[in-house]
Amino acid sequence: MESLTTNTDVRLTVTRCFRTLKSSTDSSDIITALRTLHSYLDEGPDSTATSAERAEFRRAHYSSALQLLVSNIQADWLHQLTAAQRAELWDGLFLAGPPEQALLVLMDAIGELRWVVLGKFLQRGRLAELLWSYCLEAAPSDSPQLRETLLGRISALPDITANKLQLNNRALFRPQQYYPLLATEMLTALEHTCQALRAGTDCNLTFVAQTLGKVCIQGHGGLVLAVMAPRLSACTRSDMVWQRVCWKLLENVPQRWMESVLTGLVQAVSGPDALGRIIGNLVLTNKKAQFVITHKLLLLQYKYETRVLRIILGYLAADRDRRPLLIQVLRSVSQAWANSSAVKHTPLEQQLYVSKALLLSVSLYTDRLNSSLSELLQCMLGGMQTHLDSNVVRIRHMGMVIGEYLSSRMDINGTKLKFEYDQDEETRELLSLLAPGASDGPQETAETAESAQNASQTTSGAQALKTDPDSDLDSDDELTPYDMSGDQEISKASPPRYLRDCLEILISSEDPVRVELSLKAAESLVRKNSFAAREISVQMSKVLLHMDDKYNINGFLYLRQATMVALTVTDCIPVAHYLTTEFYSLNYSLRQRLDILEVLALAAQELSKPVTEKKAASISSATTAESTPYPGDNPVHWQQVVEKRIQSKTKRLTKVLPATPNRYAPNICLIHDTFLLVTTWYWAAAQMGCALLDFVWAVRYHADQYVRGVLFAVCSVFLSMPSQNLLVDISDQLFETRSWLADVAEGDPDADCRSLAVQSLVLLDKSLKKQLQDPQAPTVET
Amino acid sequence: MSRPSPSPIYTLRGAGGPLNTLHFSCQGEGTPLLFSGSGKGAIHIWNLNSRRAEKIIEAHSGNSVIWVSTLQSADALISQGRDMQVCWWDVSEGRSELVESVRTGSVGYCQCSLVEMSPANYLLAYAGEQTEEIKIIELPSKTAVCTLVPEEKLGMVMCLKLWQPDSGSGPLLLAGYENGSVLLWDVTQRSKLSQVKAHPEPVMCLTFDTTSLRGVSGSSEKTLSSWRLDGQSNLQLQDCVTLVNPGVSQLCIRMDRKLLASAGWDHRIRVFGWKKLRPLAVLQYHTDMVLSVAFSDHRDPRQRVLAAGSKDQRISLWSVYNEGTDTG
Repeated sequence: MESLTTNTDVRLTVTRCFRTLKSSTDSSDIITALRTLHSYLDEGPDSTATSAERAEFRRAHYSSALQLLVSNIQADWLHQLTAAQRAELWDGLFLAGPPEQALLVLMDAIGELRWVVLGKFLQRGRLAELLWSYCLEAAPSDSPQLRETLLGRISALPDITANKLQLNNRALFRPQQYYPLLATEMLTALEHTCQALRAGTDCNLTFVAQTLGKVCIQGHGGLVLAVMAPRLSACTRSDMVWQRVCWKLLENVPQRWMESVLTGLVQAVSGPDALGRIIGNLVLTNKKAQFVITHKLLLLQYKYETRVLRIILGYLAADRDRRPLLIQVLRSVSQAWANSSAVKHTPLEQQLYVSKALLLSVSLYTDRLNSSLSELLQCMLGGMQTHLDSNVVRIRHMGMVIGEYLSSRMDINGTKLKFEYDQDEETRELLSLLAPGASDGPQETAETAESAQNASQTTSGAQALKTDPDSDLDSDDELTPYDMSGDQEISKASPPRYLRDCLEILISSEDPVRVELSLKAAESLVRKNSFAAREISVQMSKVLLHMDDKYNINGFLYLRQATMVALTVTDCIPVAHYLTTEFYSLNYSLRQRLDILEVLALAAQELSKPVTEKKAASISSATTAESTPYPGDNPVHWQQVVEKRIQSKTKRLTKVLPATPNRYAPNICLIHDTFLLVTTWYWAAAQMGCALLDFVWAVRYHADQYVRGVLFAVCSVFLSMPSQNLLVDISDQLFETRSWLADVAEGDPDADCRSLAVQSLVLLDKSLKKQLQDPQAPTVET
Repeated sequence: MSRPSPSPIYTLRGAGGPLNTLHFSCQGEGTPLLFSGSGKGAIHIWNLNSRRAEKIIEAHSGNSVIWVSTLQSADALISQGRDMQVCWWDVSEGRSELVESVRTGSVGYCQCSLVEMSPANYLLAYAGEQTEEIKIIELPSKTAVCTLVPEEKLGMVMCLKLWQPDSGSGPLLLAGYENGSVLLWDVTQRSKLSQVKAHPEPVMCLTFDTTSLRGVSGSSEKTLSSWRLDGQSNLQLQDCVTLVNPGVSQLCIRMDRKLLASAGWDHRIRVFGWKKLRPLAVLQYHTDMVLSVAFSDHRDPRQRVLAAGSKDQRISLWSVYNEGTDTG
């Protein structure tokens, strides 16, 4: 009965206050009303309201009071209040009451409201209060929906504020500041819990665990755990209560969020011991956690650093209860490593990751490997074979390193495997894994030194200390280097001066240096002296066409091509004739045929460049001609060619065009040449394309990514050729090819293959689109 | 975008022969001077203000001058020639008089090394008549201090560096030999302290930073090899720098211990950061082997220049990494 009257009293008073706030214009009335509302929240000894009244107000009227305040934000009286009054009465109401209600109202109204109140709410540790109130189960009216909403608001506060405030958003609400704040608030709540437990009070960590889980699943685990993990690791070092609180916290994380919390945690902790202290034997009790730790992180994902692997496996090895899991992991990892299908079809990065996991788990398995010897031996032998059979060098190396190590650990009648392989970065990294605790040692000791309270500060301090002496010694770095690209090797031999010498060397010399120099000098020699070039143009083209890169000369293909182009341009008809004839003859490789086409195309392009421009340019840049090595940029030569052509062809052309003696008429001849060449080329391109596609078709699902990769390159070459008649000649193959490319682009394990496929697809689509949009376009652009 | 490679600020021509050695004397009040020794037996004294040869001493009866140095002030000049003589010249007040000469008996190219023990008292180390022999004498008294001969066959002595450590013990001597070894000798004990095989080819030159106790040596191959002296006077090899072209004639560390310069057979001077041997610049000007490099010893660091002498008979002067003028 008494409570009923209390409730009625409170309701009456509150309603009166509300009415005043809504309608009154007198500021003293308003202030009185606000003070009355305040008195229900005031828990001090001089409070006028009884505890029953206060509880009733909190339960039934607080939210509506806040909503009323928010909805009257535009009222005149608010502006009449002094800043101090406003902070005390208006803001105070939000900060003193039950935090969950205040938070909900604030978040709903963040658009209209001054952000200051929410800022104060966060800064005054009200979030910790909120979390703590849920730990104590003191939160009233706890419907699952309310909890859900509250969780959503807390974990997504940055998103909500960003959406509502848009450009007016504050730094405090940004994820980079908010989530670390939330992490410290959670830590505070956990600390309260520890104290309460020591005092004998029961607590419930479900809400904090849910918050943690939700934040992690939303992708902010990194920020939150970066703050929480070091602190938890330090606190659990000696304090059993803290350890229990941590374990309980993780047990309470809902199953669906367990994975993201664990993945965040293994990346945030400093070492296996810290992980063990924080999560305890969670892997044994929680199926999901077991799956994530022993399976998903090791075998299904491979994006983590080696440090994470070391932490996970170290954690499994550290405790007697968890040891059986290590054996299980060892077994599954070794099977995964030895699986021949995996060796062929999984990305190299993943294989490296699995290899690391295998090495680490074997090295951590300190007991003698007798129990699982035969099984491991089987696995090792099979795995070694698949690895050594692979024609990817990195995979072979992995197999060798692991084979050596496993055999040395298994002690099979004292025999050990020993391979000869070149040490590279990867094998060194693998071998370095075997040095125990090499990477996490220093961090652990640094952590021991620091006290529990200022964990984060000391780490940054230690880092600063570490870098200081370095920065002092680093005086080399303040000196910026000059350009050193001119520092080339000096060769003893000198390049040939005459074209005939050059040809002689290319034909018969066995001296790599001289061949290289000759090849480098050849183009400019051809262009400089067109008379000499004309005498031997066909012979030289023949030599170049058949030349192999015997000495691995830098830029061999480019140099050879440039020289052949120069020859074709200088002595167009015989060389082009020779090349086109050779194109159809037997015993040429695909590469050589492609070279012929490329040379013809480039020469045609060069010949078809507008001569008027060249002539104009030649006068101005004739002086620099000597120093420009780029093909086609040699104006002196151009002038000569054009002059020559004018002289030699004038007669014939005047017959054809007798009426108007045209200075540039010979260009028609050039264009005609070009036309012929280009038609040949286009026609040949289509033929080549067909042949290539046929060839590609046969090996398109080759198991080896090298082969697949090369095919893509070939395919790209084909596609980059002008392919206007693509649709006509090879349409049926084209669409199959297209779907195959799409397939590979999506599903191939090798990243290079995927990107090549995408590139080929884009090229193909582009040319198809062009063709379909403009089917009447002439097949040759004259 | 890195800055384009610098050009020399000045070139000194007219030496009339390959420039085997260079020595700056810019510390005193007087005119800053550069001494050079040519392959035709001439010692040029270049005035760095006027950039002209102030005086030319015809020495060593036309034999190649392989080393020049000054004693404290620029008044006393000491030079070594292929005529197996080390000569002491008085060059004060415009004179050029031969004061003393010592016969070394060495037919090799090994340059002497000089260290001041007390005012007006010097130690001079030079390769002796026998293949592996190093002799040390006191100057100006010319009294022999000791003869150092290694127990094993190491080939000719190629280069020397004598210095007085700060620790107060006796002077130490670093010597590079024909088989690529670098030896550390204790002069007072007459004993070998340490030995390290720095190169597969003869050690052509070495230089040593007495403050950080690190040194570097060059050879006829493509690598510069750096080594350090640990607390127990043991030489320890450190990292190597690979050059683009083989052959180093001389190495020099700038006074502020920030830069190392190398004179390359490939006509180029290379500049490295001394701390980490990071390549900083490749200076191209000469048309023949660079035979000598030296950093000037100006008191004002901004005036310190790099000089290089080449077989093409020219000396190039460079201003690199001088605070205030260049680093910006």
